[in-house]
Amino acid sequence: MRSFASLWMTLRRALVLAFISGAFFAATAPSVASSPAQAGPSPALTVKDDLGRTVAVPAAVKRIVSLQAEITRLVVALGAGGELAGIDYTMRRHDHLFKYIYPDEARLPVVSMAENNVNLETLVSLKPDIIFASPFEKQIVEAIQRKTKIPVVALASLGDTAKLADELKLVGRILARERRAEELAAYFSGGLGRVRDRLKDVPAGRKPRVYMSFWGSLTRTPIRYDPVAIAGGLNLAEKAVPDVLGSAGTTVNVERIIAWNPDVILVHGNYLPAERTVTVEGILGDSRFASLKAVKSRKVRYTFGFWNWWDMAEVLLETEYLAALFYPERFPAFDLGRRCDEIHKMFYGLDGGFAKLSAALGCDEWTHD
Amino acid sequence: MSLWVKDLRFDYRSFSLRVRDLRIEEARLTAIVGPNGAGKTTLLKCLCALLPVAKDSLFLGRRDIALLSAEERARLIAYVPQEHGSAFNYAVQDFVLMGRAAYIPLLSTPAAADVEIALEALAYVGLRRYASRPYFELSSGERRLVLIARALAQKSDILVLDEPTTFLDPKHETELMDLVRRLAVEKKKTVLLTLHNLDMAVKHADAIVFMKNGGVVAAGAPDDILDEALLESVYEIKMSILRHEGRRFIVK
Amino acid sequence: MTRKQRVLGWLVILFPFVVFFISLSVGVVRIPLGDVFKALLSPVFPAMKEGLPENVLGIVLGVRLPRLLLAFLAGAGLSVSGASLQALSRNPLVNEYILGISSGAAFGASLSIVIFRQSFPPQVSAFLFAVVAVVIVLAISRKSDSPIVSLLLTGIIVSAFFSALLSLVEFFASPYALQGLFYWLMGNLGWPGWGALSISLPLMAAGTAGLILMRWRMNVLSMSDEEARALGVNLGREKLIVVILATLVTSAVTSVAGIIGWVGLIVPHLVRMMAGVDNRRVVPLSAALGAGYLILADDLARGLAASFEIPVGIFTSLIGIPFFILLLRKSKRIWL
Repeated sequence: MRSFASLWMTLRRALVLAFISGAFFAATAPSVASSPAQAGPSPALTVKDDLGRTVAVPAAVKRIVSLQAEITRLVVALGAGGELAGIDYTMRRHDHLFKYIYPDEARLPVVSMAENNVNLETLVSLKPDIIFASPFEKQIVEAIQRKTKIPVVALASLGDTAKLADELKLVGRILARERRAEELAAYFSGGLGRVRDRLKDVPAGRKPRVYMSFWGSLTRTPIRYDPVAIAGGLNLAEKAVPDVLGSAGTTVNVERIIAWNPDVILVHGNYLPAERTVTVEGILGDSRFASLKAVKSRKVRYTFGFWNWWDMAEVLLETEYLAALFYPERFPAFDLGRRCDEIHKMFYGLDGGFAKLSAALGCDEWTHD
Repeated sequence: MSLWVKDLRFDYRSFSLRVRDLRIEEARLTAIVGPNGAGKTTLLKCLCALLPVAKDSLFLGRRDIALLSAEERARLIAYVPQEHGSAFNYAVQDFVLMGRAAYIPLLSTPAAADVEIALEALAYVGLRRYASRPYFELSSGERRLVLIARALAQKSDILVLDEPTTFLDPKHETELMDLVRRLAVEKKKTVLLTLHNLDMAVKHADAIVFMKNGGVVAAGAPDDILDEALLESVYEIKMSILRHEGRRFIVK
Repeated sequence: MTRKQRVLGWLVILFPFVVFFISLSVGVVRIPLGDVFKALLSPVFPAMKEGLPENVLGIVLGVRLPRLLLAFLAGAGLSVSGASLQALSRNPLVNEYILGISSGAAFGASLSIVIFRQSFPPQVSAFLFAVVAVVIVLAISRKSDSPIVSLLLTGIIVSAFFSALLSLVEFFASPYALQGLFYWLMGNLGWPGWGALSISLPLMAAGTAGLILMRWRMNVLSMSDEEARALGVNLGREKLIVVILATLVTSAVTSVAGIIGWVGLIVPHLVRMMAGVDNRRVVPLSAALGAGYLILADDLARGLAASFEIPVGIFTSLIGIPFFILLLRKSKRIWL
C-alpha cells in the first residue's frame, strides 16, 4: 500500500512538472507576428509550388519577402515592387539592373544570404504576408514556414521558358495582378513565338552547332538552354549527360570541344568584365582552338546566360539576339540596343535600359565582330 | 682521444649539473655510476653535445666541442642510446649504414666503401649474418649490439653508451661488457658508459666516476678510490666490499 | 637485392614513361600513335605536319601533352613529398598536405576566385597562401621542445584555421563564384595551359629532383632527433630543406591543378610494401609509381565517359583507397 501511494505521489509530481514545463515553453516560445494568414479570414487561394507543396495564400498580400532573385524581378515587373519588404543578398550585390528597375531598393533589408539561408528573426520582424523561396531542400522551406507561420511558396523556372511564363502568371494570381501578368506573359511568349515561327522551316542539318562556356569555366556547359534551342541552335552538350539527377550543367574536357568543332561558341556574359575568367578574346587567341569553325569565322560571342536563375526580360532579349546571330539573313533588322530598351521599358518601365546594362556588362560591343 | 670536462654546467627546471675538471683517459673503459637522478644521463648527453654546451666547457682531445660542426663532432664521438623506437623497420645493414651520415654529403648516397665499413662493424659485434634482417625482428640484446655497430661505423675515437646493460640477462650483460672492453683494449677507443650495476663497473672498468646530485663525488681507478665510506656517501645505504677469488663484490 | 627485385624495380621506373606515351593517343578523338609522334616532332621538324588532320596538332600539343606532363610531374612530386614528410615525421600515415598546404591553397584560391579575380589569379594566390600556411606552421612549432610532434599538431591546427577562413569566404560568395571555387577544389589536371605550366612544371621538377637526391639522408632524418644529431646531422637545417622542397612541389601542383588527394599517402605505402622501407628505394620508386598512377587516374577521369569529365581527385580516392586496403590485408611483410 505504501509503495503504491509513493508511486502515485511521484506520478503526480511528474505530471505537475510536465504541465509547468509545457506552460513555460509555450510562454517563452518566440512570439510570432500576428499575420493574417494565421488568425485572419479564410485564405483566398491555394497554390501548388515547385516542391509539390500545397500552400494557402492570404487574400490580400501587402508585404512580400522574396528570397528568390527571379521572383523578385517578376514582382517588380508586375508592379508590386512597393510591396516588397525584404530581399536576398544576391539581389543587392550581384544584380546589375535591380537598382535601376527598382530605385527604392536601397531601403529593403537583406533577409537571406545565398538563397534559403535566412535570418529568421529579421524575416519575422518584417511581418510579411508571403515568402517566396527557391525550390531546393524541401525541409528548409518547410522549416521556414513552420517556424514563422508565414506561407512560403517555392518557385523557380529551372531553365524552362514555358515554366517561366507559368510562374509569372502564378505570381500574378497570388499578388492580384492577373491582368498585368497576362499582358507580360503574352508579350514574352509572343516574342519567343515570333522567333520560332520565322525559323519553322529550318532543317535540322542546317542548324548551327553551339557550344556554351558557362559559369566562368571553359569546360562547364549547360545541358539545356532554351534561348539557344528556340533561336534555332543545336546545343552540343544536350545529349552529354542523362539529366537524371537534374544537374543543370556538366563538365566536358577541352578535347571534346575540339572534337565537336562547334559553329558558334557562346561565353557567359552576365559576369562583370573585370570578373570574367573566360573571355571571347581568350578563346579567339587560344592556340588549341585555332582549328575550330567558330574561331575561324569569329563566331565567338558573349550571351547573357543564367543569372541567379533568370531575368524574364533578358531571356526574351537573349533569344532574339541569338536568333539574329545564328540566322542573320532571317533577322536582318535586329538591333540589340533598340530591342533592349523596348523590352526593359515594357517589363520594368525603365528608360535607357541598354545604356545601363552596357555600362555594367559592355554588351554594346557584343554585336561587333 | 681523451675527454676533458673543464667546467660544465647544465640547468633544467629543478635540476642542476655541475662538473668541473674531470678527465676521461683515452683508450680506457670508464664507467659512470651513481643513484637515480644523479645526472649520469644528462652528463652523457652533454658530452655528446645532445644538450646545449657552452664554449670553453668541454674538450674532445684539444677541440672545444661547442666550436665543432655536427659532422665534425660525430666523427669524434659516437652515442649509443639505450633504445631505439621507430615507425620504420629498416634492415639491420641499412640501420648500421646510418652511422656513416657524418661522412656522406647531403645529396649523396653511401658508396661501396661505406657499406663495407657498416658490414665490418656488424661483424665486429658478431651479427654479420643478420645484415638483411629487419631490425625489429632481433631480440633486444641483439638490437643493442646493432646500435653499437652503428656507433662503430662512425669510426670515432670516443664511444659513449647510455645504460647499455639494462634489461639484459646475465649472459648477455657479460658479453656486452666484454665487447666494450675489447673496444677499449683492441681498438683503442675511449669508451664511456653509465651503469646501474656496480659489480659490472668494478669488474670491467679501468676508471669509475661516482656521481650524486648533479656533481662528481669521486673519479679514478677502482683500486684507488673504492671504499665503503665512499659507497655509503653516494648511495646512502650501508654496503660492504667483499673479496672472492681475486674479485671484488659489492654487497648491500 | 635479388634479380627478381631488380627487374621489378626497373619495371616500376619504366612504367610511367610507357603509360605516358600510350596515353597521348588515348582520348575523345582517336589519334593513332604514328600521328602522335609526328605531332610531337613537328615543332622541331615542321615537315612532320604533312598529312595530319587539322585538329590533331591542337589536341596533341595543346591539350594532351601539357595535361600528361602535368600528371607525370604532379604524380611524381606529390608521391615524393608524401614519402619525404613521412620519413621526416616518422609517421607513415602522414600525407603531403599535413603542413597546411591544401587548406592554405584552397583559401588562397577562394580569395582570388571570389574577391580579387583578375588582379590576383588563383594560381598565384593559391601558391602564396600554401607557402604562408607552412611558414606559420614552422614558426609556431619551432618554439616547442618536441619539434616533430608539434609540427604535425600545428599543421592540423593551421589547416583548420585556413579551412575556417575558407568557409567564411564561401559564405559571402555569390553562387556563381562558389561554383567556380567548388570545381577548383575538386582538382582538375586539364585546366592549366602552357603559360601556367611553364612556371609550375620546373618548380615541381626541381623540388622532386632535390628530394630524390636527399633520399638516403631521409633514412637518417627518420631517426629520433637525438639519434640523428648524434649521427652528425644538422637537424634543424636539413629538416627545413626537406620541408621547403616538399612545400614547393606540393604548392606548385595544388596551385595549378587544385587539390588531388591520396597520392602522397598511398603511393609511398605501396612502394614500401613492395620494396621495403629504405628511402633510397622508396623515394625514387614513389616518384615513378606516382607518375604512372596519376596518369592512369587522369586517363579514367577524362576518358571514362564520352562527353563529360569527372574530377581526377575523385578517382585517386575511389581507386587508391580500396586498392590500398586490399594490399594491406594481403601484405605479410612487417614494414611498420
